[in-house]
Amino acid sequence: MTTTADEATRGSATRAVTARPEAPKPSGLVYLGLAGLAVLAFIIFWVTRDSGEILLIPLGFVTLWAPLYPVIGLAVMLLTLLVCYRARVGTMGGFGALAFITMSYWAGSTVNFTLLEIPSRWSNVEPRLRAFLDPNWSYIWTVRDQWLITISMAVVATLIGCAIGLVLAMLASPVSSPNKGVSQAIKAVNSVIRSIPDVGWALLFVAFIGGTAHGLGPMAGVLALLMFNIGIVAKLLSETIDSVNPGPVEAADAAGANLTQRNRLAILPQVLPGFVSYGLYVFELNIRASAALGIVGVGGIGSAIMLQLNRFAFENVAAILIALIVVVLLVDMFSMYIRRKLL
Amino acid sequence: MITFENIDVVYPNGFKGLSNVNLQIDKGEFVAIVGLSGAGKSTLIRTVNGLVPFTSGTLKVGDEVVDPRSKAKLRRLRSRVGMIFQSFNLVTRVSVLNNVLVGRSAETPTWRSLLGWYRAEDKELAFKSLERVGIVDKAYMRASSLSGGQQQRVAIARVLAQDPEVILADEPVASLDPPTAHKVMRDLRRIQQELGITTIVNMHHLDLARSYADRIIGMRAGEVVFDGPVEEATDAVIEEVYQRSLTAEDIVAGDAAAESSAAGDAAARDSATEGAVTERSVPAAKAQD
Ligand SMILES: Nc1ncnc2c1ncn2[C@@H]1O[C@H](COP(=O)(O)OP(=O)(O)O)[C@@H](O)[C@H]1O
Ligand SMILES: [Mg+2]
Repeated sequence: MTTTADEATRGSATRAVTARPEAPKPSGLVYLGLAGLAVLAFIIFWVTRDSGEILLIPLGFVTLWAPLYPVIGLAVMLLTLLVCYRARVGTMGGFGALAFITMSYWAGSTVNFTLLEIPSRWSNVEPRLRAFLDPNWSYIWTVRDQWLITISMAVVATLIGCAIGLVLAMLASPVSSPNKGVSQAIKAVNSVIRSIPDVGWALLFVAFIGGTAHGLGPMAGVLALLMFNIGIVAKLLSETIDSVNPGPVEAADAAGANLTQRNRLAILPQVLPGFVSYGLYVFELNIRASAALGIVGVGGIGSAIMLQLNRFAFENVAAILIALIVVVLLVDMFSMYIRRKLL
Repeated sequence: MITFENIDVVYPNGFKGLSNVNLQIDKGEFVAIVGLSGAGKSTLIRTVNGLVPFTSGTLKVGDEVVDPRSKAKLRRLRSRVGMIFQSFNLVTRVSVLNNVLVGRSAETPTWRSLLGWYRAEDKELAFKSLERVGIVDKAYMRASSLSGGQQQRVAIARVLAQDPEVILADEPVASLDPPTAHKVMRDLRRIQQELGITTIVNMHHLDLARSYADRIIGMRAGEVVFDGPVEEATDAVIEEVYQRSLTAEDIVAGDAAAESSAAGDAAARDSATEGAVTERSVPAAKAQD
């Protein structure tokens, strides 16, 4: 080690400094193509524009006009490309920057995002805000049964969801699945499960088996949270399985273990900390989700919030929400404690 | 007895890992396979238990003809053939005992494995195996809390728990420091002699191969280019296998407590030639693979 270092220093003293390699120049042709894309985006923005504001460009003999915002967009796009080119950003990087600007422009103009509405509605907002800031503390205890339902729903959904998620994750990861076909199929099923949000599942189950009105709210809620949890746990855990140390897995294979045995003995212990951690995370999400799920007719604390909102009893809603924050914080602290013990 | 007849291995990417290997390894023999990195030592050893499927030829372990396509047959074969790895391949988060019990998988019903509820006789076998490598007192410790040499002994105990006819070891001491390497090799040698288990060990340290094996097989580019008793594997012969002259990296530093005189000779040679040998051979061993 020391001898080579010595040689290196001596070498640099005698020999002339060798030329440092330059960053490779990105292809100008591709950048020209990207500029073409920018112009294309500009034309699309022009055609689909909402705002009538116009930019006038006097040239002396004739005055050109163009819609104001698309022109600003085009200028920003071209400037970005120029900067990227000069900074020798690779063509994929340039494309990424262009895509980012185009998407922000398009998304912003589509939803007409603006904050101008709020002041004009202040007279409406003010009394409600006042009620909110003066919570009815005594109300918290009145809804204890709803809290109990919420927490029970979260516990049941977490336990069953993690168990099913574990099996699906084992089938989905190519490391632990019986073969590639099973792995691909289960991954597809997982994607479908995850593509429907928790509220979507709740609406579905309320529609199919009945909600609070039929006394089935908690049932629909558990099923909705269950699907939600399966999707998350299966996804996160199968990715954890993808990256386990293959050594013990090979050793179990070499000892003549069958697939189930080797997954249980060589893979499960490796992913157990991650698994528990995902379970705690999902439990937290379930408590949070229960507030939103009440709105679509599922039992628990969410339905209490819904009821009080409909009665304009904002001081009660505020009390529940503050209790919700406290509960979520407690769950968070609890799971952090467990995770620390575990890892 | 293990017999290779015209065994070829072609990897899925078309690379020829073994070509036309013919070998006969008798029951209870201790064979060392030497060769440079990439010579095909691991490939050869892994065809025996089907971790690498051979593509043509006939392979027999005992009376059984190996069929790499039948999963059930492979599992039965693997229960008779234990394997030891360079990186120990323990599940570091669980206890030593549970690692050893992985070796009982083939004889354990799946539901028992799932519950982790092993039969008393399987546990006793695991304890006996740990006793044989001298670390039974560590049975309930986490595998990760053991030293490298101890971890490799747990791996040997895992193999012994299989009650195997054959032990395959792929560079078992390449990640260990020289004294520990000698200790682990002595354990392997003792076990082979006490239990009469056919043992095939890959190594790139010539002195270890000479000290502990009965027979040396030299490999180059997927072919067996030397096969003979230790006495015939002279420096000149091995230089022919390696196609280069021997260097300090081919020899692990000697071990003061070595019982075998050959190991002692190697040690003497090392210290006589150059002081740097000891320092250099350790990182060289770790850099392998
Ligand atoms: N899975 C594989 N696919 C393709 N080539 C492989 C594979 N495994 C090993 N090889 C190649 O086969 C040759 C022999 O490898 P190996 O048996 O591991 O050698 P050794 O153990 O003697 O170092 C090497 O050239 C290696 O690149
Ligand atoms: Mg190898």
